[in-house]
Amino acid sequence: MREGEFDIRPDTAVWDHWRRHAEETPDEEAIVHVAVGDEPRRWRWGELVQASSSAARRLAEAGVGAGDVCALIIRHSEYFYPVYLAVSSLGALPAVLAYPNARLHADKFREGLRGMSSRSGLDHILTERDLLETVTPLVSGAESTVRDVLLPLEWFRAGDSWAGPIVRHPPTDGSDPCLLQHSSGTTGLQKAVVLSHRAILEHVRRYAEAISLTRRDKVVSWLPLYHDMGLIAAFYLPLTCGVPLVQLSPMEWVTSPALLLSTLSSEGGTLCWLPNFAYNLMAERVREEDLAGVRLDSVRLLVNCSEPVRAESHDGFHRRFGRYGLRREALGACYAMAETTFAVTQSVPGREARSLNLDRAELSRGNAVPLPDSAAGRRSVSSGVPVSGCAVRVVDESRREVPPGRIGEIAISSSSLFDGYRNYPEKTAEVLEAGWYYSGDYGFVKDGECYVVGRKKDLIIAAGNNIYPEDVEDAAGKVRGVIPGRVVAFGVEDESVGTEVLCVIAETEAEAEKDRKALRLAILQAGMAIDVSVARVYLVPPRWLIKSSSGKPARSANRTRALGELTPV
Amino acid sequence: MVSDKLKKVILAQLKLDDWDIVDGTTADTVPGWDSLTHAGLICAVEDAYRIRFRASEIVRLKNVGQLQELVDRKTAERTA
Repeated sequence: MREGEFDIRPDTAVWDHWRRHAEETPDEEAIVHVAVGDEPRRWRWGELVQASSSAARRLAEAGVGAGDVCALIIRHSEYFYPVYLAVSSLGALPAVLAYPNARLHADKFREGLRGMSSRSGLDHILTERDLLETVTPLVSGAESTVRDVLLPLEWFRAGDSWAGPIVRHPPTDGSDPCLLQHSSGTTGLQKAVVLSHRAILEHVRRYAEAISLTRRDKVVSWLPLYHDMGLIAAFYLPLTCGVPLVQLSPMEWVTSPALLLSTLSSEGGTLCWLPNFAYNLMAERVREEDLAGVRLDSVRLLVNCSEPVRAESHDGFHRRFGRYGLRREALGACYAMAETTFAVTQSVPGREARSLNLDRAELSRGNAVPLPDSAAGRRSVSSGVPVSGCAVRVVDESRREVPPGRIGEIAISSSSLFDGYRNYPEKTAEVLEAGWYYSGDYGFVKDGECYVVGRKKDLIIAAGNNIYPEDVEDAAGKVRGVIPGRVVAFGVEDESVGTEVLCVIAETEAEAEKDRKALRLAILQAGMAIDVSVARVYLVPPRWLIKSSSGKPARSANRTRALGELTPV
Repeated sequence: MVSDKLKKVILAQLKLDDWDIVDGTTADTVPGWDSLTHAGLICAVEDAYRIRFRASEIVRLKNVGQLQELVDRKTAERTA
């Protein structure tokens, strides 16, 4: 096999590839688990697959079988990996869910799981003892499909031999479902993307080509695995290709952002995927003294994805870390979504993601007209060219293709397209038509490269997390002093943090300064209870909000009005 | 015990007029103190006391009481 080529057959199970690595390269590193304060745990292929097979036997004894949906709600742990691989080895469908933040109310968390259960047919919850009390009521709950709660981390002890035969995946031609992927938010938890083994393997093969992946690469990631970028780009891609993955804790990274840079340096990492806000956070918050001895010469590609890519974020990041050996041409970008397994377009490796300086006036008329770099305009970063097997077209509201340079909705066809939202045919029909997925993102194509400039949907993406405005409006609307139903939530770009921040407009009769400050605090707390951070609160008098034709407050119109007229409390 | 100075730094950083901040207070119970604002808050504490934390020290902090202990230790080291 030549370097850069990977033997990936889409008519197999993903587990078959992991098992093959254990047979062919048992002593090669598969996953390096990094936890601050501990020596890294270096899983080699042989022991990883052995431990996974051991866990698979325990899961099978507990009644987990092919086709079962298993929610994995587990914090950063060295034993997460064999548990995940074990679920997959049995032909069951792993669905990684975010471990609930302590501020998220237990009822709200259960509500999300209940919604997932009724929509996706959740069979088993694999979690930690700390969460047992919270999730156990789901097992006996009316209409709940949850059969049991398992605590698989407790099956492992340091020094275990995990002896026993290696598990064989049930026969498949690749068309069987492999995993479920949920977007975040209580509403989103009910909309699961189903991906087949074929879709994932096809995508891994094609995306590996697009980023010129070789066996000399090493992925370093702090991304959570409940997110498609973390799960597909930084987990399935390296593991399926037999490329080592160094996994950090998302919480430890955000607490101490220098951790990613020091790990890239110490491990010789070459590849990393990041949402845009991470570039700002590291450029602004990492201290020089935390970078003693750090070198970033080994990094050949940093992929900016999952949020709008901002040229200023790339500039600031390179200005800060160029002196540590970070090459400008390593700053890449990608356009991706769970519905297409992951990447649709990718910048060319070895070349910095292109950017255009666009005429703002033309942009507001729906045209992408480039200006000279020196002129005042809006810089837009290219997300690259379509990955092989993917095609992109830009369409108008009637889903007719528009001329190049005209802004419209981005539609995608892909050899790794999802099979639909699980048990949600009406939602699937809204976005899938004749083999094209209608993304809800606005953008344009120029010189074969795809530029994403906005969103049709009201979805808010804050620090890589999807927030559904309905969830926030529902929570804020229940705050005493807010007129019920008279709330609008929306996102606003905050250049200083490199991401969107969440804003709430609420109608109230409160006028006294003291009452308004108390109301702001109560709205912040309502956000905390559903694990979102409200950055700005605008309090307005009754009948201030503009209604849509359906009688509900119109988000877009109220957003424009609030930003033009109001100051946050 | 959490000092008035540390409490003021935290409240100012989170744009709060007042909030009950005691030894056992954890970030997830304070409005606006989330993973994104945490790094900025730590920098504000470092600047206010003219001290520097190591990454491993920050990651281990569980509550405001532990942050206060770390501040006290660092301040004592600086003045020693």
